[in-house]
Amino acid sequence: MSAALQNLVNQPYKHGFVTNIESDIAPKGLNEDIIRLISSKKNEPEWLLAFRLDAYRRWLNMVEPAWQNVKYPKIDFQAISYYSAPKPKKKLASMDEVDPELLRTFEKLGVPMHERAALAGVAVDVIFDSVSVATTYKEKLAEVGIIFCSISEAVQLYPELIKQYLGTVVPPGDNYYAALNSAVFTDGSFCFIPKGVKCPMDLSTYFRINTEESGQFERTLIIAEEGASVSYLEGCTAPRFDTNQLHAAVVELIALDDADIKYSTVQNWYAGDENGVGGIYNFVTKRGLAKGRNSRISWTQVETGSAITWKYPSCILRGENSVGEFYSVAVTNHHQQADTGTKMIHIGANTRSTIVSKGISAGQSNSSYRGLVRITPAARNARNYSQCDSMLIGNQCGAHTFPYIQVQNNSAQVEHEASTSRIGEDQLFYFSQRGIGAEEAVSMIINGFCKEVFQQLPLEFAVEATKLLSFKLEGSVG
Amino acid sequence: MSTAIWDDYLEKLIESWKKETQPFRTVSYLNRLRTNALNRVESLRLPTIRDEEWRFTDISSLRNTPFPRASTISLLSLDSQKNTFLNEPVCRLVFVDGQYIPELSSLVDDDSVTVCRLSGLANTCASKAERHLGQLADFQDSVFVALNTALMHDGVCIVIPANVSATIPVHVLYVTSGKEEVAAYPRCLLVAESGAEVTIVEEYVALREGASLTNAVTEIYIGESARVNHIRVQREAPQAFHIANNATFVAKAARYDSVSFAFGARISRFDQKITLAGEGAECQIDGLALIAGRQLADTHTFIDHANPHCGSRQLHKCIVDESAHGVFSGKIMVRPHSQQTDAKQLNHNLLLSEKARMDTKPQLEIFADDVKCAHGATVGQLDKESLFYLQSRGLAEEAARNLLTYAFGGEIINRVVVASLRQRLEEYILARTRIS
Repeated sequence: MSAALQNLVNQPYKHGFVTNIESDIAPKGLNEDIIRLISSKKNEPEWLLAFRLDAYRRWLNMVEPAWQNVKYPKIDFQAISYYSAPKPKKKLASMDEVDPELLRTFEKLGVPMHERAALAGVAVDVIFDSVSVATTYKEKLAEVGIIFCSISEAVQLYPELIKQYLGTVVPPGDNYYAALNSAVFTDGSFCFIPKGVKCPMDLSTYFRINTEESGQFERTLIIAEEGASVSYLEGCTAPRFDTNQLHAAVVELIALDDADIKYSTVQNWYAGDENGVGGIYNFVTKRGLAKGRNSRISWTQVETGSAITWKYPSCILRGENSVGEFYSVAVTNHHQQADTGTKMIHIGANTRSTIVSKGISAGQSNSSYRGLVRITPAARNARNYSQCDSMLIGNQCGAHTFPYIQVQNNSAQVEHEASTSRIGEDQLFYFSQRGIGAEEAVSMIINGFCKEVFQQLPLEFAVEATKLLSFKLEGSVG
Repeated sequence: MSTAIWDDYLEKLIESWKKETQPFRTVSYLNRLRTNALNRVESLRLPTIRDEEWRFTDISSLRNTPFPRASTISLLSLDSQKNTFLNEPVCRLVFVDGQYIPELSSLVDDDSVTVCRLSGLANTCASKAERHLGQLADFQDSVFVALNTALMHDGVCIVIPANVSATIPVHVLYVTSGKEEVAAYPRCLLVAESGAEVTIVEEYVALREGASLTNAVTEIYIGESARVNHIRVQREAPQAFHIANNATFVAKAARYDSVSFAFGARISRFDQKITLAGEGAECQIDGLALIAGRQLADTHTFIDHANPHCGSRQLHKCIVDESAHGVFSGKIMVRPHSQQTDAKQLNHNLLLSEKARMDTKPQLEIFADDVKCAHGATVGQLDKESLFYLQSRGLAEEAARNLLTYAFGGEIINRVVVASLRQRLEEYILARTRIS
């Protein structure tokens, strides 16, 4: 490993700082009273409290899963504070009223909200810790009938929509962390695209985890009615802490007939230092239901942060001719661990799915692809293509592939291929021969390796992701 | 797996077998091994579909029949000898219902192959057995290996001396007579010393239909620069349970070629573990499962690249018809510092009927960076274009289908080096594809 590359890998986390805003924090621990407290703080209807309590009781009877290919000390769920909200000042009407401290945070992150909103035409629903503080472009979206707000707002304003869809794709008892999330989720985004509406702009949410030791449990629900389409962007950065933070989100997508949902994520949470101390535990349940005919759900993710990433954005292809897609780049360095992949459940006839997964491991990290392609007996003429490539940088990291392929219909065509490679000396030599230094060469090789996935990202994200990858891996090759 | 639950099925099984099992007289090592395995069985239980390794293979019906040891020894009629013996001159070892039958076996006269029964180990075999038996197939985590080790009563140890090429293939034939519902726990150890070469055919056949249980363990030790060509054919009765574990140790610069066929049994499970334990070791393992009716064929392979410069190739195919269920799980492990590993694994599956089901799980676990590893898996039906092509050349649709299905399996059959066996397999697969 060359010195230059060593330096690159070892770059400190650029977004590590803590914003001092008074937080309204619930006492540590989890019990029914805490859940009642969260529910009453958020002024929730009775049925939602019942939903939470039901999930909590299920969670109590569940066992923490241990099948994943990641290792971490046991989480003490009683040592986490389950509610933290910036002190409510007053209702905000414009960006000027937002806490200047908060605005400075975004500027440090390089997210000039108003600029971004104006220049890129992005409506940003900013989640600062658990409560949504500012929402822009809401009116413009409201003109075409799109609802885009925080989920707690939606509970107040559109309770019937929430009641109809919440927990239908990821039921409260789905898995350990989904049950936990269902019991204690504090905020997240809600998006509803009515019949026939094509969302005029990319919707985007920036998440920040801010209060130390407060796990964040967001809940995102996106519904696209018949013929609607939306592209949703999720981007994440978190400040530097030495105690591990748990992040257990749930994302549910529902696409009705002819609807199209594209969900893109760039995740760059604090990954811990080079010795593997600290960092976020990212245990997320993401699932989309392609319910209607000809519907389409597409997941794109660039996972570069978190000490542990453990998530499988999935598609349930129930509607006839529905399409599921999964494009992923997972980069791990130092002691990071990633166990990620997807599930494609083919139920409807003529359903198609594509999986492209690229894993890059450096340092002493481990990354795993774990995926399921299931063709149920009813899924006539289903089609799946999966491709998983891994790249190893250095001889102390690991790359693993665990695809499950279950076919119960003989008209299905399922293909899976995987390969492993590394950046060869000869490749670097070729570049240096043409006057391109090792660092730049590595960046170019990696971008080429991930190209198929980056092409799926919206433009601004593609730029961000490319940059992110190069400074993430700086110094790790040689 | 190893939760300390005492399983009442295992308890009864052990009790009934203990009474009949004689201690080995000549080698105390074997008795010790048997006791250790027995102790281990006590803390294991039968796997269920809740165990990851057995997710798709439900063996709970195994509990319904006690499967005792065969009470009588049966010999083969001339007719069945004709159907099971190979035409070529071979060193033949015949077991019927788990019992070695010297009358049917024929050993070689030259010194190229040494064969000993476990009950009468002597000389070279005794020292080899002590060194390798029970060392390659680990019984700590597998209840079936532990059971086999605990209940083994007859078996063979085959040794090919250093720098010797066995003049003729070794044919180990395990016959299930089907007269009664019995169990067999055959055990075989093959040691190819450094520079040796041998072809071994391991075959399981049933003389007539009927339930039976075979729990076989085969251990193969391949010394430096030695070569072993291993052909495994499983043609048990359609009601039988067949559970087998193969463990192979491949030393430096040695080579292991293996072809396995799974045609029979109601439920068959084959665990194959290969350790590439020295630099430059290589293996090629191929397999074909051809199943129909309500059969289930499960193949689990594990190739352990434990050293640098090793290579492995694998091609596994399944042809699944009617309501049958094929399972494949293949893991390639590349240990840290096993640089320059070159591993390739392919799994192709053909589903011939609407009810057919296939579960496949090819896996890579890689801990070294300078490696070339790839795997691929496909599940599908016969290619419509190919069918059309053959039909346009005047073949009836049925014939075209059969020809394509045959060709799909034929690729694996071509790997068989023993001519008469290859021909027999070809005929067998032709007959099977004709029915469908």
